Amino acid sequence: MLFDVNCYLGAWPFSLVPEMNAEQLARHLDRAGVDCAAVSPLGAVFQPEPMPANRALFAALRGKRRFIPLPVVNPALANWKEQLEECAAAPGVRAVRLYPNYHDYRLTRRTLLPFVDALEHHRLRLVITARIEDERHRYFALRIKGVPVADLTAFLKANPRTVPLVTGLSVTEAIQLASGTENFLADISYQENIELAAMLRGKLSSSRLMFGTLTPLVSAAAQSGKLCAPDFSAAERRRIASTNAVRFFSGPHADRR
Amino acid sequence: MSIIDAHTHPVMFKRGLTRPEVDRLVKHGRTLGVRWMVGLGDVLLYGRNFTAEQIVEVNDDSAKVQAMYPDYFRFFCFLNPRLGEKAVMGEVERCVDKYGFIGIKLEICNNARDACMKPVMEAARRWKLVVLQHSWSQTNIRQRSFHTDPADTATLARRHPDVPIIMAHLTGCGVRGVLEVKELDNVTVDTSGGLADEGLLEYAVEHLGANRIIHGSDLPGRSIGVSIQRVLGSRLSVSEKERILFSNAARLLNLG
Repeated sequence: MLFDVNCYLGAWPFSLVPEMNAEQLARHLDRAGVDCAAVSPLGAVFQPEPMPANRALFAALRGKRRFIPLPVVNPALANWKEQLEECAAAPGVRAVRLYPNYHDYRLTRRTLLPFVDALEHHRLRLVITARIEDERHRYFALRIKGVPVADLTAFLKANPRTVPLVTGLSVTEAIQLASGTENFLADISYQENIELAAMLRGKLSSSRLMFGTLTPLVSAAAQSGKLCAPDFSAAERRRIASTNAVRFFSGPHADRR
Repeated sequence: MSIIDAHTHPVMFKRGLTRPEVDRLVKHGRTLGVRWMVGLGDVLLYGRNFTAEQIVEVNDDSAKVQAMYPDYFRFFCFLNPRLGEKAVMGEVERCVDKYGFIGIKLEICNNARDACMKPVMEAARRWKLVVLQHSWSQTNIRQRSFHTDPADTATLARRHPDVPIIMAHLTGCGVRGVLEVKELDNVTVDTSGGLADEGLLEYAVEHLGANRIIHGSDLPGRSIGVSIQRVLGSRLSVSEKERILFSNAARLLNLG
């Protein structure tokens, strides 16, 4: 089974990729052999408040069991509690996603502490988006960098009982983050190397890695080729392909420390 | 389906030179259907200001790998065009005569529009070699004094229409890069570089035709499994996929 933890619905204004609806997304993932996906709304990246995009996501995914809605919360807005409550009440929601760099706040801000407490209250998991676009190829006027490893480290140390999934880290960033903290999981959407398994071994266990495609911006079929890297054992492949993601999205805080 | 990987670095920062490492790489490539691997050298080993001796060292390392599997590897001769005509011509002649290298690889020693490229292109003409130019959009990177933008590769191709050029890194060049070389029939584009942007390969085929695109992984920093699946998982026809994965490079580089 292949479980994509980094998948989106909606339009990206700087891409030629046509917007898909949920049925089209399902067919698209079928062609790449992806069985299920946690799906976030791209609209929430640029809109001033994420809930309209989240509501559209909930409606689009309703009744589609292969998709888990992964709505976005902006904790820098005054209504973050209302956002969180509405997301927690929506069917199928197990986690919420943050876009710190696109929403112009740092993970070190104090207001994130009550936000993390509220996540626990709602029994929701956390996904942090380190980056969506490769900074080298982004639209020339969109000068947004990835979330700094130092900020992620500070956040993880300030919230040691929280184990977020961080999407969009490069191999170097993931290893750097793992050298200072243990309470995070990472997707491999930005991690690629013919020696990927060897690079990560001993630094970031396969029990902390998940498969992610960045669909629809990146070819899901191409991303699936990462699991062909030599040296991944069959058990490691299974963990990365689906086991870890199923655990993350199935029960509330199953891996809380 | 047989596959040619036309953009690889089997040796990178001196890793990949030992027999077990080469054995492993060949085994992995063969498992995924790669019939030929085209090596481009350890092109970042000394930054971007390689001396003549360092260029020789890189090409000799490439030759060592080729000698281990002569029916699997073909290499390009890595050059620093800034070393001048004598050094360029001498190294190309040495690599062609001694090792049978089949092309010229240019990285970030200089920009492809620089005057120092003239003897490089003359060498390609004289020894009938393909020139592979590292190319990456400089819109955000802004290193154009030494780093080649697809517009610069297009300038090079326009100046030397009789020399076949591979513009490396479809993803790094992007839509703008495809359009820069659209009218230049002597330019082929390889599929390597960065994450496989959805739809970019199909866009390149629409504008360049499937005959002007060849498959490359850019290993070890990238993976062959990803680069192959990018093609196989695309919306292209079986014939187009076959040309990109094998026939185009076989024809361009005389690989059977």
